[in-house]
Amino acid sequence: MEELVLELKKQIIEVLNLEDVQPDDIDNDAPLFGEGLGLDSIDALELIVMMEKSYGIKIKDPSAGKDIFKSVNTMADFVSKNRTK
Amino acid sequence: MSQKVYINAATHISLQQPLSEEWLVSPVMPTQPYQRSQDPNFRDWLNPLQSRRMGKILKRALVTAQKVMLDSGISQPEAVITGTGLGCIENTELFLDQLCREGEEMLKPTYFMQSTHNTISSLIAIQQHCHGYNTTYSHKSVSFDSALLDAFLQLQLGDIKSALVTGNDEMTPSYFSILQRTGYIGQPGQVTASEASAALMLSACRDNALCEVESVTLHSSHSNLQLPPSASLDAVLVGTNGMPLNDRLYHELAGRLANVPILHYKHLFGESYTASGLGAYAAAHLLHRGMAPAFMREDGVDVPLPLHRLLMLNHSDSHNISCLLLCACS
Amino acid sequence: MDNMGIVITGAGIVSAIGIGKAETLDALREGRTGIAPLHYLKTAHHEFPVGEVKLSDDEMKQRLHIDHEPTTRTVLMGMLAMQEALEEAGLLDCSGLGVALVSGTTVGGMDKSEQFYLDYLSNDTRNDYIRTHDCGATTDLIADRFGIFSMTTSISTACSSAANAIILGANLIRSGQTEIAVVGGSECITKFHLNGFNSLMILDPEQCRPFDATRAGLNLGEGASYIVIETAESARRRGISPIAVLSGYGNACDAFHQTASSDEGEGAFLAMQKALSMARLQPADISYVNAHGTGTPNNDASESRALQRLFGTHMPPVSSTKGLTGHTTSASGSVETTICLLALQHDFIPVNYGFTHPMPDGIVPATVSVPSRPLHHVMCNSFGFGGNDSSIVISAKPY
Repeated sequence: MEELVLELKKQIIEVLNLEDVQPDDIDNDAPLFGEGLGLDSIDALELIVMMEKSYGIKIKDPSAGKDIFKSVNTMADFVSKNRTK
Repeated sequence: MSQKVYINAATHISLQQPLSEEWLVSPVMPTQPYQRSQDPNFRDWLNPLQSRRMGKILKRALVTAQKVMLDSGISQPEAVITGTGLGCIENTELFLDQLCREGEEMLKPTYFMQSTHNTISSLIAIQQHCHGYNTTYSHKSVSFDSALLDAFLQLQLGDIKSALVTGNDEMTPSYFSILQRTGYIGQPGQVTASEASAALMLSACRDNALCEVESVTLHSSHSNLQLPPSASLDAVLVGTNGMPLNDRLYHELAGRLANVPILHYKHLFGESYTASGLGAYAAAHLLHRGMAPAFMREDGVDVPLPLHRLLMLNHSDSHNISCLLLCACS
Repeated sequence: MDNMGIVITGAGIVSAIGIGKAETLDALREGRTGIAPLHYLKTAHHEFPVGEVKLSDDEMKQRLHIDHEPTTRTVLMGMLAMQEALEEAGLLDCSGLGVALVSGTTVGGMDKSEQFYLDYLSNDTRNDYIRTHDCGATTDLIADRFGIFSMTTSISTACSSAANAIILGANLIRSGQTEIAVVGGSECITKFHLNGFNSLMILDPEQCRPFDATRAGLNLGEGASYIVIETAESARRRGISPIAVLSGYGNACDAFHQTASSDEGEGAFLAMQKALSMARLQPADISYVNAHGTGTPNNDASESRALQRLFGTHMPPVSSTKGLTGHTTSASGSVETTICLLALQHDFIPVNYGFTHPMPDGIVPATVSVPSRPLHHVMCNSFGFGGNDSSIVISAKPY
């Protein structure tokens, strides 16, 4: 799981172009949207694309992203349960 | 009675030293067929979190806009109007490339969202929380001129009191090679193909203005073009770029203005669809100083040219011609 | 006495519901949608219904008696629409009059670029198409067919492009730079923006339902429409009878987000308010609003709020016609202004196709085509990505 968490952090940084952020800067339970990293609705869409590309998970409803992308931990949990790649 | 219109501030990011008029004293003389703009340190101007999705064209547009708002003291212009020939071509290509090579699945929304031409004007407005008139023109080499015309009309009519007018174009290496195939840029003997970000703040206020805008017009044909009387002009500023097909019309039109010295600018600022924005930026500062440096004179006379009233001519494939008449504020 | 003295003397339109005004009027009166499964565009995304113009490129070329290349679909549609507008306004053989053209498009020649992009990069077989890609090229290719224009330019503000073209045209007339302007826009469906909108997850795989509680996104459309505007004096001199009056317009920026509108619809509200103010009208004077109404959860909620803020208890009939035409993106401002012209001329309300469930706290769109009072002043809204919000008011003449 730790490996997946680190992998997800690196992907978030790359896909969302967070130039100044290191994996260590992202707390596993910190909110990603609104406060915390301050991501927005476009970032959520990018993460949906990343989910399909890297893990073969198709998220059809954009509003489902709210719960899935709450924090790195919720993402890791969702990926480990649903990945097809 | 129409309102007078002034340029209160103007800046650029281009082949020359960014956000500066240093080029008037020690210009860079570009020689490459293709060269990208000199960028400022974007971190001095933009929040990295907010600008992380932005390509160069967007960052430059936001910076030049911010600078003229600062310089003019107008932080909430009543209009934000942009001209861009190719729009955000880098993001357009990224999306198109993905589409062509990888197919129609899992495409990056950011590329699409940042590819639309009006992203530039919108982001400026979002940054400034500016609810005023907002639009974008894209008409090849008269894109900036169209934006300027719109602002000028509204100011003249008294519909608005201030307008931020910007011209922005970027040139990626791949799109340069595409356009080179068409003969538009990258040809032997031609000025450097480059990029442009020019921002001008126009208003109805004369205080501390760089110059006055007397008129802006666009024409489809040069045959019936009425030019101002030669005796009333100190110079005509043209967009010659070393290509005979392009330069011919400029010389023909300038030739109708007997004894009016010709100035040129693309040997300093390069060629792009919004190079005329850089020409207008330069003209404003030349008029403010009351003179054009010798290296802008086409006649090779090695003495600065005194300036009070200047006509700038620009055309797009000899098809669309713009005339911009500017004068000093003395 | 007209407020600005600007009248409308011609209009042309092509869209999913018809080629020309007569076919369009029929479809509007019958409430017949042009949204259907994809047919002409070569794409993998057949799950999305779209409003395609029911002609192939070759069929359009035949109608226009064109047999050369390069052309693009946006140009061909633009030519068809402009032909009709110029014919009605008596401008087909009038070089020397000094007519301005302002045209809106965003994708321009992308239908060809997306086919040939890899060729552009690697070989010389498709070089003729490279310079048909940009917006300006599109406008000039349309203009060159008719040879009557003294100036041309192009606006690219996504879904409000054509509306903004009307605004610049009117300002050129008000300032005296021209007496006559042809204004509008053209946009064809491309894989580029079909996939682009899909990546933003705002397309509905079902028929779109503007202002409906169950709405889930938009259906893309394509089309072109141009209107001829001129001074009343110019129309009189040319012996052309105006069909309507351009009374007012407004453009404001939402300044909220690149792809979403603010909850309070601030940009939309300001644009509509400006249009009313310019037309010297009160909200209660508006007989019908053709809303932007794309069918996305965000736009319709935001626009609904803006309409409520502006009209309050004087809410006129409001409908979106995008359930019939699809979202014609850059052309929508003029496609829908022409629809408003037809509504004004024939005194009916184009119904809001696809509506069944009212939004909680939202406006209830018009589903009945017979107006309760004759249409006199009609408002047309077009809101583009990035918060480019524009509103046009046209009126029956005289007023």
